[in-house]
Amino acid sequence: MSRCIDKMYVNSNCVGCSQCIVFCKHGAITARGRAVISKICVECRVCISYCPMKAIQPGREA
Amino acid sequence: MTEKAKKAVVIGSGLGGLLTAAQLAKDGWSVDVYERLSLIGGRFANIEYNGYQLSTGALHMVPHGTKGPLATMLRELGADFEIIQSSPMAIVRMPKNSGETDYKNGYEDTSHVDFKKHLTSKNKLMMVLLTLSFNAGLIRPGKVGFKTWYSKYIHDDRIDRCADSFTGWALSTTADEVTTREVFKIFRNVYKYGGPGILVGGCQTVIDELVRIISSNGGTVYTDMEVTRIIIQDGKATGVIAGGKVIAADLVISDIGHKEAWEICEIDGVECGGASQVSGFSNPAFKEYEEKLAGMKPSAGLKICFASDEQILPDGCSLMLTPYTRRINGLNEVTIADPSLAPPGKHLVMCHQRTALDRLDKIDEEIELGLEDVKDLFPDKKIEILIVQVHHGRWPVNRAFSGTDFGNKTPVSNLLVVGDGAKGEGGIEIEGITFGVRDAMKLIRSMDR
Repeated sequence: MSRCIDKMYVNSNCVGCSQCIVFCKHGAITARGRAVISKICVECRVCISYCPMKAIQPGREA
Repeated sequence: MTEKAKKAVVIGSGLGGLLTAAQLAKDGWSVDVYERLSLIGGRFANIEYNGYQLSTGALHMVPHGTKGPLATMLRELGADFEIIQSSPMAIVRMPKNSGETDYKNGYEDTSHVDFKKHLTSKNKLMMVLLTLSFNAGLIRPGKVGFKTWYSKYIHDDRIDRCADSFTGWALSTTADEVTTREVFKIFRNVYKYGGPGILVGGCQTVIDELVRIISSNGGTVYTDMEVTRIIIQDGKATGVIAGGKVIAADLVISDIGHKEAWEICEIDGVECGGASQVSGFSNPAFKEYEEKLAGMKPSAGLKICFASDEQILPDGCSLMLTPYTRRINGLNEVTIADPSLAPPGKHLVMCHQRTALDRLDKIDEEIELGLEDVKDLFPDKKIEILIVQVHHGRWPVNRAFSGTDFGNKTPVSNLLVVGDGAKGEGGIEIEGITFGVRDAMKLIRSMDR
């Protein structure tokens, strides 16, 4: 199961607090225990600065 | 010429950090608050979602309402806010027929005051005697788990369920994960200060007011500014590195937790990079502190926020405890107090369920059980699930299980911790944070003399 899109991914720090969801202007994030970024993400990176866990990162998951 | 104001740096803009910063600024300190995120307020901020005022953590609720410790401190600071008390304090949803263990055949909503009618006369009497004896100092159960303690005297499934429901909702623990001493201190505070209320405008009202007070007293709250180092030289904090720059300080306040602050300390030029590596230092106080840190365990919980077309709770009452669900411990219908927290005609409900630490790897199942509870609790209501929020680990419900917080002090005299993990005894959530801030300010003012 891949959680990554081209240039953004959610790492294992994510606790599922859902804070990122509300700041995504594109409705690209959902979370039920862990955030998932969908393909409609435009990589604006706004969510990164609202994540308390440093869980959203640019780049591809290793 | 006036003496130059002493400088205080506050790391983190959660409620504890802002309450401390506001008091320091009013005391004449030059105060900088550094927040890593773009959002001020930590787990006590509003987040707007489809017209609903959700929150980053808290339930827009003040556990002891208008007469409680937080409200009192805010008034002393000159904050403008309004809390609508829940009346009755809470209702408890019981199964319709005694002996049933769920709500499938119906339920009876009873005020917390009338709850006693569900108990036998013997247990009613026993509860009164135990409370009186504890308050008179005749029994000192101390650190024994609350349920272990009362089970020596009372056996009643209804009491067990209600105790777990209350501690789960208030503290995100079972009744046995919290010490008897802490529970009694909480009960005493309920009698002393009163029950819960909801903040008009939600948590954000308090956060905005505190930022206003800090700013109007010359302080600054910076967002998007991470503190990456706390610099310690010769046993004193001399400043921090914030946003890559060295900021000198006479006092450093951490509102990011004990562990998290200690990990970024640089002691006499050596980066800690993790507390254990500092053990090589000769100071035995460091070692003792690190051993305590290793034992600090954060609690976990799950919040389900839903919208309803119809009001769920009776007028005036914003809190319901749900002892007979699978997971949900209780819920707040915040729009009972402030309808503007939801779009016109809609109602906003926030449910909380304690999550066992050994179930975190099955969090999907825990969420499903919570969602099934919502359906069972309100089978005839049209409900829309808005958001599911999980808190654990480093973004927990509480950084330490209630009753195990260990105060404001660190081995460095001018590095103090406030907020979660440094709560005062007997304080539910933000009331505990307020007690912790009050204690920290006492320490600071005594240092200052």
